[in-house]
Amino acid sequence: MLAYLLRRVAWLVGALLLAGSAVFVLLRVLPGDPAVTLLPVGAPPEQIESIRHQLGTDRPLLTQYGEWFGGLFAGHLGDSLFTGIPVLDQITARLPVTLPLALTAFVLSIVVAVPVGVFAAVRRRGLAGVAVSGLAQIGIALPIFWIGIVVVWLVAVQWRLLPPGGFPRAGWAEPAAAIDSLILPVVTLTIAQAALLIRYVRSATLDVLNQDYLRTARALGYSLPRALWRHGLRNGAATVVSVLGVLLAGSLIGTVVIESVFALPGLGSLLLTSVKARDLPVVQGTVFLMTATVLLVGLAVDVIQRVIDPRLRGSA
Amino acid sequence: MPKISQRLCVAVPPGIAIIRSWSEYMGNPHRRLRRLGILTATATAAALLLAACSGSTGSGTAGGAGDHDPNATITIGSINEPTTLNTVKGGNTGHAQVLLRNVVEGLTVLTDDGKVEPLLAKSWDVSTDGMVYTFHLQSGVTFSDGTPLKAADVVATLKRVISDESTSARKKNLSIMKSVEASDDSTVKVTLAQRSQSFLFYLTATGAAVTKPNAGNPETTVIGTGPYKVGGWKQGDSITLTRNDTYWGAAPKNKEVVYRFFKDATAENNALLAGQLDLVTQVTSPDVLAQFSNRPEFTIVEGTSTTKELFNFNDAVAPFNKVEVRKAIRQATDRKALLKAVWADRGQVIGSMVPPTDPWFEDLTSIDDYNVESAKALLAKAGHAGGLSFTVDYVPSDATNIIAQGLKSQLAQAGITITLNPVDDATWTDKVYKNHNFQATIMTHVNQRDLVWYGDPTFYWQYDNPQVQQWVKDSETAASTQEQTDLLKRVARQISEDAASNWLFLDPAIKVAATSVSGYQKNNTTDSFYVAPIAKRG
Repeated sequence: MLAYLLRRVAWLVGALLLAGSAVFVLLRVLPGDPAVTLLPVGAPPEQIESIRHQLGTDRPLLTQYGEWFGGLFAGHLGDSLFTGIPVLDQITARLPVTLPLALTAFVLSIVVAVPVGVFAAVRRRGLAGVAVSGLAQIGIALPIFWIGIVVVWLVAVQWRLLPPGGFPRAGWAEPAAAIDSLILPVVTLTIAQAALLIRYVRSATLDVLNQDYLRTARALGYSLPRALWRHGLRNGAATVVSVLGVLLAGSLIGTVVIESVFALPGLGSLLLTSVKARDLPVVQGTVFLMTATVLLVGLAVDVIQRVIDPRLRGSA
Repeated sequence: MPKISQRLCVAVPPGIAIIRSWSEYMGNPHRRLRRLGILTATATAAALLLAACSGSTGSGTAGGAGDHDPNATITIGSINEPTTLNTVKGGNTGHAQVLLRNVVEGLTVLTDDGKVEPLLAKSWDVSTDGMVYTFHLQSGVTFSDGTPLKAADVVATLKRVISDESTSARKKNLSIMKSVEASDDSTVKVTLAQRSQSFLFYLTATGAAVTKPNAGNPETTVIGTGPYKVGGWKQGDSITLTRNDTYWGAAPKNKEVVYRFFKDATAENNALLAGQLDLVTQVTSPDVLAQFSNRPEFTIVEGTSTTKELFNFNDAVAPFNKVEVRKAIRQATDRKALLKAVWADRGQVIGSMVPPTDPWFEDLTSIDDYNVESAKALLAKAGHAGGLSFTVDYVPSDATNIIAQGLKSQLAQAGITITLNPVDDATWTDKVYKNHNFQATIMTHVNQRDLVWYGDPTFYWQYDNPQVQQWVKDSETAASTQEQTDLLKRVARQISEDAASNWLFLDPAIKVAATSVSGYQKNNTTDSFYVAPIAKRG
């Protein structure tokens, strides 16, 4: 297991380096010069050059690349081109919005989707089961921003139960207001994520239901819930856990859209703003951090799977 | 154009509205407006500015006031968050709306009705040759941190706006200042390199507004002499302006102003509907007005603007280097139908690059008016009898999406096929504006008096007519305002006859506010959004 872990961590570092390079290169290939966005229309070319020089974007790409990676190892993600604020500080300032949002939605979607998915599988021929899987299918098909707008329109604008967006200026110093402002975004993100997960749980459960060992357990006198609990859960869980990594990545990416719809000052909106302004260090830092999170979760998922399923341990 | 006019006949269900606002993620119209806040170099006599906004009346503010609460907080929605608070940074930084007149003040100020008036300068003397300006500062002025304002601070600011650090939109114009010096603590003497009747107007720019030197990180800290100080900037969310209790002028009618920033106009409208906002600075589509009309708690105000929607050709490349082709495209365009589709008949069709509030305005809409048959004939004459096809780059927004689709179906009637290429803001700037690598584009131009760009053959549309260039040049050194006006009228007519661009229409300035607030400016004729007069009923 230790050797496996070491190998996986080495792989993770390699993947991070690769992802970082990809982000760096993609941003440079993208059209749009940050110096030009800073200048008024009609600015002479020599002024563009001088701004580029001030921003440091006129230096050879390899130098910039080396500098960025060097900083990365020193734990420094660079400074914003426009405000000079360290990228890490900007990201940290946004986490109190995005972390609770993404994590709560992630956890909630598991809490909702697992029982509902199992239910849909067990009652797959009943009206309720068909209805659940139909609804889940619709949930997957609907774009997340559409769900968001409908939720805002109904709950915030028509019924006036919760704020339509925004985050209290004092942040978590006003806990009640902060929670109020996150309820609708969390619900929206949960709907989108749970819909996907329900499908996975349902098919994993169906898989288990058709297994011989479950039939044997039933023949031995176990009730269906007990048989599923004793023998089904662990077998089905391996499949479901492997989806969780994808789900968390989805949660993080979902925040870009959700935070726009709900006017939340989180990581997603930071990413959107800095892409539009071509604030390259901020985009690089944010994307890199998101990538790292997703890769780390992927590693955790793999480890958990090996714990759940002993068969995987030998194959490494 | 059944396609586009139908659009407005159906009530827009939430789904459609979202898809349209989703497209705004790619290009926030306000930001474009600011970036193309093309500052023009002509505006000659400051007095002419009086006429710049002749359409507006009185102080240009809106709403009726009752007894107001002097300690109110006014919350304003905007989709134009500054990327920096540095007043000498230009481009699409969006800080003028928040800072100018509210936090920082210039020697002179451009009011909502287009006048240049004294602000930090109480008065000034101009030498007979027009080269030396002596400004006498207001007495008793302090920065919001309590430090008294000295002439040396003004000198530092004026030197800063033309320094290497500056990317101010007025840097080039203000570089005519040959020397800036403080004669004593309350007198500033500026010597110009050449006569410039627009100098006092240039001084109203954000970059020339006086800031306290060395106040901290210039990108996030700004200390000025205005009625407010920056109370806090929560990036991605809001900027809070707090009343400066030691302000030298009349005290603001509110205690605090919060600008809340949105990425998405739908989210902004919802916040207004739910009572989180008092005011929205600019409505980007008439569709949303239905939500606010017939509701006593909201007021809809329509004012004037200088915002022009343009369909531009790259005049230097084929097929647009032939005047017949450009004229044909203008004649194949039904501007009235486009205006109806975008603004439901608010706003105004234009025939050249001049809004009615510019002194050299003439109604030129009859030149190359809508006539599909004539357009086809012109195309045939230019050797495109078999049709014509080209690509149009544009930054999607509520308005440009509709314009793009409308143009596509209108031009098809004349056998012209256009391919729409939506790009994001930064890409547009790079590809179209900087590298001239485009065939045609849809763009919004906001400033007053920006006709003069047709006198610059290197500007992105590359219109090159030496006669027009000479007229533009002469207008700047004209002996009288009448002469200037006459010359620029000729320019406006000539570019229209040359079909240098396809000028579509002028946007209306629409604001929606809670009925409880009053005193806000209703026109979009300045870079600033002056908030001190805004009052809220207690």
